[in-house]
Amino acid sequence: MNILITFILGIISSMLIDNVVLSRFYGICPFLGVSKKVKSALGMGIAVVFVIVLATLICWPLYNFILVPAKIQFLDTVAYILVIASLVQLVGLFIKKYSPSLYKTLGIYLPLITTNCAVLGVAQGNTDQALDFLSSLANGIGTSVGFLVIIVVFSCIRVRLESANTPKAFKGLPIALITAAIMAMAFMGLQGLFSGINV
Amino acid sequence: MDILLSIVVLLGLGVILGFGLAVAAKILYVKEDERIAEVAKRLPNYNCGSCGYAGCNAMAEAIVTGKEQSLKKCKPGKEETNFNPIIQYLNEHPNDDGSKVNVHL
Repeated sequence: MNILITFILGIISSMLIDNVVLSRFYGICPFLGVSKKVKSALGMGIAVVFVIVLATLICWPLYNFILVPAKIQFLDTVAYILVIASLVQLVGLFIKKYSPSLYKTLGIYLPLITTNCAVLGVAQGNTDQALDFLSSLANGIGTSVGFLVIIVVFSCIRVRLESANTPKAFKGLPIALITAAIMAMAFMGLQGLFSGINV
Repeated sequence: MDILLSIVVLLGLGVILGFGLAVAAKILYVKEDERIAEVAKRLPNYNCGSCGYAGCNAMAEAIVTGKEQSLKKCKPGKEETNFNPIIQYLNEHPNDDGSKVNVHL
């Protein structure tokens, strides 16, 4: 039971409290670039969830069972990028086959998931904090779902902003950045949500 | 010793992942009109976007599918090095039903 609760708390805490985009400022590029339409934001979010969860599943055993016994931990970043780049290629092939329209809307942002620092951030963070496998998985799922939720919510707001009567100087990206800042402040309110719970 | 081990591990990882991707590419292969790649090869390939398409590949696709007929939309393209070879190529490679691809300068 305890393991399950820790797992769920881990997911929720990395999803909402330490949200990648709003509190750690990872993955801002797709966050601003692909959030103009809800559909493409959803596609981007799902692709990132897929890449992050799979990357976590592969990178943790890779580090602990291959790099550590071989005493070449310094290669972790290089090995992770190799895994992530391959996964992104795989996702690209998959989307191209099953949803050509999504492939077109995502465009250059799809291969750029490779350099989305949220993906490398999760893998590297798991290593730096020496998390066990289950906590790493919780961190991966929570972080990526958090990214998905935030980019979809943000795209909904941006669709609404398109028709809003914003001052001319703020039209487009400036008002989007201000919106993101207000969202980040709102999420700060969740800080310390689990501080009273001891598992 | 560390250097040798690093090379072996990364090489092994690369080979495994590369092999996996090759298999995936075979399974998830999408059939594309080979004329699109041929036309794209004959465009300037600056991907400047001044034609109004997302890049040279997108413009080549529009030309082959008949959506775009005016090659002059491509601003950096030159008549003798880009446009004439494309017209010549498309004249030699008609659509499957025998009709010609409609393009002009």
